[in-house]
Amino acid sequence: MFPEARLDVHLLVRLGRVDEVRIASSRLVQASSLFAGKRPDEVARLLPAIFALCGTAQALAGLGAMEQAAGLPPSAAQVPARQLLALAETVSEHGLGLARDWPMLAGAQPDMAAAKRIRAAMASVRPALYPGGDWTRPGGGTVTPDVPTLYAAIAEARAALVMLVGEDGLNALDTPDGFAAWLAQSPLPVASLLREIAGPDLADLGRGPFLPMPEDGPADLDARLAGDRDGAYLARPDSAGRVFETGPLARQSWHPLIAAQMGVAGPGLLPRFSAKLIEVASSLHEMTTLVHSLNAAVAPAACLVEGAGLGLVEAARGLLAHRVELEGGRVTRYQILAPTEWNFHPAGPLARGLKGAAAGPDLERRAALLVHGLDPCVACAVTVTHA
Amino acid sequence: MCMAVPSRIVAIDGGTATVEAFGELRQTSLMLLDEEVRVGDYVLLGAGGNFAAEKMPEETALEALAYLSQVLADGLA
Repeated sequence: MFPEARLDVHLLVRLGRVDEVRIASSRLVQASSLFAGKRPDEVARLLPAIFALCGTAQALAGLGAMEQAAGLPPSAAQVPARQLLALAETVSEHGLGLARDWPMLAGAQPDMAAAKRIRAAMASVRPALYPGGDWTRPGGGTVTPDVPTLYAAIAEARAALVMLVGEDGLNALDTPDGFAAWLAQSPLPVASLLREIAGPDLADLGRGPFLPMPEDGPADLDARLAGDRDGAYLARPDSAGRVFETGPLARQSWHPLIAAQMGVAGPGLLPRFSAKLIEVASSLHEMTTLVHSLNAAVAPAACLVEGAGLGLVEAARGLLAHRVELEGGRVTRYQILAPTEWNFHPAGPLARGLKGAAAGPDLERRAALLVHGLDPCVACAVTVTHA
Repeated sequence: MCMAVPSRIVAIDGGTATVEAFGELRQTSLMLLDEEVRVGDYVLLGAGGNFAAEKMPEETALEALAYLSQVLADGLA
């Protein structure tokens, strides 16, 4: 069998507080080194087939890295088409979380009908942009936008989102007061969960220094990856000792609702979960705008031979970085740094948010909520021992 | 990495499929899958393996399985 990667979080309690947070990871951070020897088109085709949750983002980061290495700037037609692909995956992933996981965390039944609607709608985006299926082609595939299908997909996902949060919930995301009013009265499971995590028992959980990922990644990202001969940086990244948080909260911390929530309780559970809700709604909005800017384009001839390149994509769970070195038309070195390595770093946001937390009979559940808030891309178990 | 193993459907019972990968059989839900699948098709499973996330062409699945076999053989998994 192929071993399933996982995270194990162990909390050590002393004198009624979490004194130590240990995080062990069995994630395969070195596996992409085996891309060495392959052609760029082979790697780009393989990426979406070996990553289940973020296959689109992985392929797009790989294409970005390999095209940069070859000195090929992305064409005006590929940019909005690829952004649409990445956003569709973000909506699909966070939509599944909202429909399946949030109700279960609130003790309610998952809404699998809404989950299926969102995922099916977003799955229709790729063929509506690249009907020939060549979206992973280095240099860009043939873009033939089917605009009515794209608008229908966005409308369908929005309708499913309304099933989960209500039209009033979607409209309430703009202002703190509107959100508070919706939260106080909505009977939906999503609102029940948000009410619970906004309550006095949980409001403080996750507070700790907030170090959001810079917009284009850490300034030293490329140099650190280039110098990482033993894979230590890929497993435990930092930037001058700082371990950034990446993902919805880092991306949405400017948003008026999130800024207001963080002003009250810091980077706690409520702004983390609210940021995901905002991401689904704002991604659908952004997708509508991008559809306006689409143009048809035939796949250009592209020749990727020599050079080194870095590709960055804001994936559902945060910043995804690929770095490649090409020689003679083949990959000689390939590295992938995924958001989970930042967020579940032993000195990262999960550890910062749990250290010092009050112990108590429900510590496992509270820690599991924070794990959910940071959204690892593999299974994650929490255990507690009392010193 | 959140690596996914393409799995071959060996049996279907209602909304649940029995799938095989690397000699291991497991049950997975087809509930989130939009496309029709049949025995012999390859699917990519979501995290934890409890649902099929995507149907994939056989050629791509075999290419991915060859790569994952190498990951296993090289001790990177």
